[in-house]
Amino acid sequence: MEGPLKELTKLERLTVSSEKALSIADSLASLLNLLQDAKQQYQDRDLDEGLLTLLSRTIEIKKEVDDRQKEVYSSIARLGKALDKKFPGSLPTYSRLFESPNSLTALERTIALHFLRTGQFETAQTFLEESGVDISEQLRSQFIGLHQILTALRNRDITPALEWASTNREFLHSRSSPLEFHLHRSQYIRLLLASHPPDTLSALSYAKTSLSPFYKDHTTEFRRLLGCIVYLPLSRLQDSPYSDLASPSLHFDLEPLFAKEYCASLGMSRQVPLRVVGDIGGGGALARIEKGRKVMRERKSEWSQTDELPIEIPLPAENRYHSIFACPVSKEQATETNPPMMMTCGHVITKDSLHKLSKPGGRVKCPYCPAESQLGSALRVYF
Amino acid sequence: MGTKINVDGVLLFEQPFARVPYENYRKVFRTSQKHVERELGAVQSTSADLANRAKNGKVGKEEVLNSIEGMIGRVENLKRKLSELHGGSGKATQDVMRERLHHLATIETLPAASGPDFTRWADTRLDRWLVDWALRTGKEKTARQIAKEKDIETLVDIDLFMDIRRIEGALNNHSCAEALSWCNENKTVLRKIKSTLEFELRLQEYIELSRARKTQEAIAYSKKHLITWQETHLAQIRTASALLAFSPNTTCGPYKRLYDLSRWDTLVRSFRLAIYTLNTLPSEPLLYLSLYAGLASLKLPACYDPSTKNVDCPVCDGEDKNSKNPQGLGLGKLAEEVPQSHHANSTIVCRISGKIMDEDNMPMAFPGGYVYSREALEEMAAKNGGTVTCPRSGEACEFSALKKVFIS
Repeated sequence: MEGPLKELTKLERLTVSSEKALSIADSLASLLNLLQDAKQQYQDRDLDEGLLTLLSRTIEIKKEVDDRQKEVYSSIARLGKALDKKFPGSLPTYSRLFESPNSLTALERTIALHFLRTGQFETAQTFLEESGVDISEQLRSQFIGLHQILTALRNRDITPALEWASTNREFLHSRSSPLEFHLHRSQYIRLLLASHPPDTLSALSYAKTSLSPFYKDHTTEFRRLLGCIVYLPLSRLQDSPYSDLASPSLHFDLEPLFAKEYCASLGMSRQVPLRVVGDIGGGGALARIEKGRKVMRERKSEWSQTDELPIEIPLPAENRYHSIFACPVSKEQATETNPPMMMTCGHVITKDSLHKLSKPGGRVKCPYCPAESQLGSALRVYF
Repeated sequence: MGTKINVDGVLLFEQPFARVPYENYRKVFRTSQKHVERELGAVQSTSADLANRAKNGKVGKEEVLNSIEGMIGRVENLKRKLSELHGGSGKATQDVMRERLHHLATIETLPAASGPDFTRWADTRLDRWLVDWALRTGKEKTARQIAKEKDIETLVDIDLFMDIRRIEGALNNHSCAEALSWCNENKTVLRKIKSTLEFELRLQEYIELSRARKTQEAIAYSKKHLITWQETHLAQIRTASALLAFSPNTTCGPYKRLYDLSRWDTLVRSFRLAIYTLNTLPSEPLLYLSLYAGLASLKLPACYDPSTKNVDCPVCDGEDKNSKNPQGLGLGKLAEEVPQSHHANSTIVCRISGKIMDEDNMPMAFPGGYVYSREALEEMAAKNGGTVTCPRSGEACEFSALKKVFIS
């Protein structure tokens, strides 16, 4: 943004009066002085040559003001050019996008949930009134519950989070979630570091009652938690092999972890969906799609809008939600009718390719290693 | 960690963000220019007139004093107006421009598309998009509330959309005056983009005169306002002249169409298009464009197959057990309108851990063909004394019975 910012600074300098440059206001002030002067003088004498010259100066000043205005005008134009340079492409048009009533309802519902999920309850209320979307009272109170617990966590109160975790213990266990253990761990570390000099007794008794049930699933971590006592106080702990336990992220990470588990229990994603999709779309995907479209247009080939993108949009690993198997032989994506098959050597190709490679008698030579196997011994795999 | 920010890709969306206050500032400048011309032009001619008459030697003292005082009044008036303009909207618009350019500069300096700074920026961007969407869909209260609560009032264009709404409202009430005065304010730019909005509005006013059967007035109106367009719109002007011979309930095709009240809706759309183009705003909400691209990047057939749905995938909320109830649908419903993503290479995602499998975290297959990552299966085996159980098929076996899978 350097270019536009530089031009903006110039424009700002032109439009405020400063000592260096005269502004329009200065010109007008001198014009005013001149006229008042003329008025003063005229009261004492007749309209003579001198006075007329004085008056003719008004025309000069008008020119001065015009020049100033011209300067401002060209400064504005330069700023415009700098903006054009910074933003060379304009946004594409996709007419009639998301216009159907069903799409609109889906979108409004998504946005309503977005407000609730991000804790903007008042905005959500306004939006629900304005849009007429219906979100069940139950769902709403679940989100309010989530934010109450998160606020408590921020204020170092793990009790509501623990209550929720114990009522949902089975669910958490099925996901092998470390939430409960991490909550207790945070509390234990706080107790350890709370007093100066360290009073380990209360922390140890907390560990005995609250942490020990997790010994079985988190053995190593449990031992480290007890072991770190040797390195107290905090300043020593930070330089010890246990420094990770001194890090504040041990406590801060509870919030996202809790939100993730809570949302999962409601069947909702770990990230805020609108943000995920918006970040991908606004982070280069649209630019790439448009470039692909342009190339296709230049080649005079077309691609159907509803079918498949002509180009691959790279995604960060955290946004890969599904397995994709593209056959290394045919380059086609596997489908239900053309599924991925694993030969006995462990290499996977699609069923069609496998059949094409097979020789009479059903023998197949793997294209990636020397192994030969029987067509019938290939195993359908599920990713 | 985190990928580098695709700055060009991000900035593709931000042209209107920088451009709207710029256009506003140009408007401020035009107003100031108008004031200067009016007041100083008058001062100039008065003083020239005075000099002229003095030469001929016939000006009374009183008259001269009055003239000078008149000039003083004008200059004082201009000074006040300009300082009000600059101190008010002029300075404010400059500040908005500066703030927005700084906001965009942030994204140029951030190292990666992750971390708290990026998160904050992207949160604000989404809020801006939501405000834009809410304003365009007539949810003014929501828009204002987001802007206020997130403290982003200078980063959104509520005033512009309020203007749009005011003028559209007038058009919906069959009044062209507001839209015409907007055309007048933006005459040069409209000419540059070859907008015919003004002609369409004039034609509509003419049609309304004809509808009211005010033939004389209509002819006068046509002479005054339509004829100037004859170079480009001769055929339409001719048809319009003949319109006077037809009554509003005519069944004759071209004239029936001119009398059709749906022309007003067309005018609303043309006006919208013109004011959007002027401010480089896209015709669709920014949110839609980002959703289109984002959903298309994510969408896969797997998102619509109940056996491969992933609760974390934003597209997977399309159709589920509530499929008979469209109320329960979210982004997946919208994704139906976009193309699906294209992939030339395999990516195998572990259904247990969600991690992508590669040489360091090999895919392993159960004898039944279900594949998971080695890390996830090792963890499971360690907890269960070496036995692993497939979460999908329920098949259980020793870890050693799993087979390595090679994806090339």
